[in-house]
This record gives sequence, C-alpha cells and structure tokens, in this order.
Amino acid sequence: MSDARETILARLASARPPTAPAPAAMAPPPNVLDPIETLREHLTEAGGSFQIAARGDWPNQIEWPEALSTMEHVYSTLADPETRGVGRTAVFDHELARLDLCVIRGEFAVVENGAVWHVPESARERSAALLAQHLVVVVEESQLVPTLHQAYDRIDLAKTTFGWFLCGPSKTADIEQSLVLGAHGPCTMSLVLTRDGPALSGTAR
Amino acid sequence: MGHVDRARAFVADADRTQWHDQALWFVRTKRDRAADRVPDWEALRQQAAAIKRNALGRLPELWTEFESNAVAAGAVVHWARDAREHNEIIAGLLHERGIERLVKSKSMLTEECGLNPFLEAQAIEVIDTDLGERIVQLRHEPPSHIVMPAIHLRRGEIGELFAKEMGSPPGLEDPAELTAVARRNLRKHFLSAEAGLTGVNFAIAETGSFVVVTNEGNADLGTALPNLHIASVGLEKILPRQGDLAPFLRLLARSATGQAITTYTSHFRGPRPASEGHSPTQANPALHIVIVDNGRSQLLAQPDFREALACIRCGACLNTCPVYRRSGGHSYEATIPGPIGSVLEPSRDPTRHAELPHACTLCGSCTEICPVQIPLHHQLLAWRGRLAEGGQHSRRRRWALYLVGTLFMWPPAYRFLGWSARAIARVFPSRLLEAALAPWTRGRALPAIPKRSFRTLYRDRHRQAAREADNGGREG
Repeated sequence: MSDARETILARLASARPPTAPAPAAMAPPPNVLDPIETLREHLTEAGGSFQIAARGDWPNQIEWPEALSTMEHVYSTLADPETRGVGRTAVFDHELARLDLCVIRGEFAVVENGAVWHVPESARERSAALLAQHLVVVVEESQLVPTLHQAYDRIDLAKTTFGWFLCGPSKTADIEQSLVLGAHGPCTMSLVLTRDGPALSGTAR
Repeated sequence: MGHVDRARAFVADADRTQWHDQALWFVRTKRDRAADRVPDWEALRQQAAAIKRNALGRLPELWTEFESNAVAAGAVVHWARDAREHNEIIAGLLHERGIERLVKSKSMLTEECGLNPFLEAQAIEVIDTDLGERIVQLRHEPPSHIVMPAIHLRRGEIGELFAKEMGSPPGLEDPAELTAVARRNLRKHFLSAEAGLTGVNFAIAETGSFVVVTNEGNADLGTALPNLHIASVGLEKILPRQGDLAPFLRLLARSATGQAITTYTSHFRGPRPASEGHSPTQANPALHIVIVDNGRSQLLAQPDFREALACIRCGACLNTCPVYRRSGGHSYEATIPGPIGSVLEPSRDPTRHAELPHACTLCGSCTEICPVQIPLHHQLLAWRGRLAEGGQHSRRRRWALYLVGTLFMWPPAYRFLGWSARAIARVFPSRLLEAALAPWTRGRALPAIPKRSFRTLYRDRHRQAAREADNGGREG
C-alpha cells in the first residue's frame, strides 16, 4: 500500500493550488450578558435539563430523573452517589447496558452551546456514559468558557486519547423530522452546576 | 434519463412533495435562527473559508504530519487511491480477524465507495446504525439527503418496514415508538460487535486526532466496545491545528440542523486503551485510519471547482435549494444530491451527471448560506460551460442552447419573436396557451401578458428622464 501513499502525495503535490496564508486567530465575540441563563437555554433546547446546586450537598438538592434510591444499577465517578448494582459487579463493559444511571464529572461547560467537555478516565467510564438510561454531568460553576475558541485553548488534544463534548441526551429526528430523545444512548441528560452554598436539611433522596 | 425525468416519480405524489418541501424549509429556518444568535457569524464563515484555502495548499505536508502523529498515538494508517482500494483494505482488516459483521455509523465516503455491497458480496454483514441510514439500508435504497438520509419517507412507510424487518406490531406510526423499536434492535448489534466503522468530520494534522459528530451516539457506541475501529477519511477533511476546530464546529451543527452543537462531538487519538473489562473479542483495541483520494486530487487540480473541497457536508445548500426541496434527493441519482452534489459529481463522471448542473435556477441561495463560502452557483454555471465544451450535453439540450444562443446574438430576431409572442397571447385564450406551454404551466398560472416589451418601456422611461433633466436644468 506504500505505492498508494506515494501516488497520492505526488498527485496532491502536482495539483497544489497557490499558497494562501493561514488566517490569524479570530477575536472572540463579545461575552453574553447572562452566561448561566444562556447555558440553561441551550441545554434545554438540546433536550437536557439544567440545575444549580450546592457543592457539598448537590445529590440531595437536584431533581433526579427517577428517585435516586430506586435506581438499582448506578455507575458513578463521584463518591456520592456511589456506584452500585451492575456498575460495581460488571466483568465485561457490555454488561453496563443495564445501567439506570451514570454520573460523571465534566471539566468545563461552553456557554454558547451548552456542551460539556469530558475526558473519560477509562474505557469503562466512556461505555457507561453511553449505555446508561440516564446521564448526569457535574461541573463546577467556576468552570465556564464563553465559546469553543476558549474551549480549545484549554484542551490539549495531543495528550487526549479520547475526549468529547456532550450536550443533551442521545437523540434523532430521522423519522419525519420529529424529535425523539433516547436514540441509542441516554434518554435523559442533566447538567448540574455546583457552587458554594448551604446544605438542604432533611431532603428525601 | 435526466434529473427532470427522475423527479417526475417524486412529484407525482403531491402531498409528499409539499411535505418534503416544507420539512426542509423548516430546517432552513432553524438554521437562520441559530446563525442569527451568533454575533460573529460572517467572520466565522470567512475564517473557515480561509483555513480551508490554506489547508488545500498544503495537503501533502498536512497529511504526512497527520500520519506521523496518528502512528505515534498507536493508529495504523492506510492510503487508498480509489474506492476499490478503500474497500479492499477494509475487507482485508475484517478477514484477517475473521470478523463477519461490521457496525457502521454515517459516512458519505463509504456510500461514495460502495462499501456495503462490496462487503456483502464477501459475506460480511454491514449494519448501518444511524437510524435514517438503517431505514434506507433496509429498504435497499441510497440516502436521499446527506444529513437526513430518510427525509423522503413518511412515518407509515417506516412503520411497515419495521414490522417486516424488526417484528414491530403492524400499524405502528408514532416516531417515538418506532425509534424505540430500532433502539432495541440496534443495541444487540452494538453489544456484540467486533468491529465498528466511522467516517471523519475533521482530521487534525498537528495531533493526529480526528473528530466525529453525531446526535444519536451511534459512532460512539459503535467504537466504545469492539476491538477494531476503522475510520474512513477523504483527503479534504484535514485541518492544520486543533484550534481550527472552533470555527468549524461553531458553524457545522448550526448550518446543518439549527442546533448550536450536536449531542456528541468525539475526539479520537489512537486506539482506546486496553481494558480488563472487555470480553475477549473486545480486549485488544486497534484503530485503523484509511485516507482516501478517489478523485479528490483531480478536483484539486481544477481552479474553477477546487473550492468545493472545503465542503463540510452540513447539507444547508440542500435544505435551501428550491429544486432539491421539490424534487427529492433520489432524482439526482448521485451519492451527494443538491447543489454541492451537482458540483462534485460531474467531476467524477461528466457524462453520467451532465444534467445535474442544470437542476438549478441560479438563485444563489446555496452560495449565501454555505458556511465555508463555496461559490456554489458560480461553479454550477461554470460546469454548464465546461459540459457544453466537452460535448457532454444531450442532443436536445445542445439544440435548445444553440437556438437560444443564436436568438440572443441577433437582436432583430429577438425583438420579432417578442412582438409575435405578445400578439399571439392577446389573440389566443389563456387555457389554450397554457396547454401549449405545458409542462411549464403545470402548477403555475401564466402571468398577464404586457402590451409593450421591457425594451420599449425602458427606452421611453429613459427618454422621459432625459427630458425632465433638461427642463430642470433650464428652469434652474
């Protein structure tokens, strides 16, 4: 196949158009006035939900897609809620298809489109985030960037085997352009922004 | 058979045509709203076009840079001069491992290469996993749109198909229920797959990474579990730096569907790390990248058309095109339909696709909307000239163009024809005229025929203006 490589490179060299300079980086657009509200709008439009809660107590404060205590199979990269059911016992990753819930921590969120940057620590974490019925992504409120330009300033792809922007649940509109949430991956997706704040006392989980 | 003949079958169903037209127009208006919310939209388009122009001038350097970085990350890189080489490389990878089934996410490149029939002839089953692509695959037809492959179908037809192919209850028509049926059916394939194939939206030279975007998550599910990930990428998909992704990803989903971003925007660099948690068929991950020319270097050599290589396959030009919306994707009989397809396909086979540059009113809407500023309608016009010179037009079109050309070059004949047309229109009843002018008058009324020609109106108006200016001058 090295033949093909040389032929193609030679074809490209002989067809080379006149050189055009690489453009300078764009000036980022003006920041939006209310980043939290813009983020909420984008996430809701993408079919996800958006919640803000206190850092130490967020599992008690947010609205879960189903009552947390009733979800049998959970995979979580956070200490709370804890991993249980098939999330703990699975030998092979494809058993994670039975997951009710996957909870992961995102590095930062992008205000202009509602996406969260996430680098799974393991192949299992990536599979869990795809196979679970419900996905919850937790991001620190201080970790917001206005646009994708600033996002890529923070990312180093040369050191990233796999990383993704996540925005909303898996979805499709392939049947008559009618939007359906839950195509192949999670049917719900929740972004939780955590900040300093008081714990709620006596909230049922 | 030309585009017009093939479109006849589609437009015979007036309800479907109307629905198709409006569904795509709706997507176009969603795109407008999304673009309006981005204050620097035009600057983004310029930036994206400039990045592509720069990249197209450095393809050999960028691809070798990509190759060495991808290899350093543990990927295996293959080069394919044409569709056949691409298909053979993939079949070889599967045969070597004794794999008999491939889960595939959306890739227009593999459509272009005819990968599915090639593998099926070698007893390898291909499962398209994008819902729309799965639907058209089960119907044994090509996608009719590059982003919405099954946009030509109504829910009833999909219900019937699923009842036959997936055992769903007959009469099911609710999109949510139909999607749930497909989800269950495809999950089995995802969980047992040994090999997954994806396309590539953007390849990054400086890191050897590539990006794949989907809403369904099928590209991710298809590569998260199996041992083997094959990525097919066309020569035009390379970007120099990771920062270049920002303008392109800001433009892509907004132009395609009016979303600010897709659900999944996945960045791959090298194979997945080996995991103890994978079953034996899934424990030794490998990543193979196939770089494909298949006519792209030839397009690069053509100054009039090379900018079409900047295309990011968003489909915005299809959604806005008045001809595409009313004739359906299959009428183009081309891997990529619509304005961009009508530019790309004749470079592959000018004789077969000679009619496509004429499936266009030169309204210019595609050029206005293109996120990477490809001058689509100028290229379509240029193709018409090229095809005329090359003698690829049908005899009928050659004669028609000859007659019109002669008429336009001989003003007295043109004036006489205009005068007699107006005279005839005054005498004959409009219904007779409409019958004579069919098919033009099918679905539209003949406008009222003016008594005087544009030319005389223009001349008189000019004279009048000159007189008034004259008078004004004297009085002042």
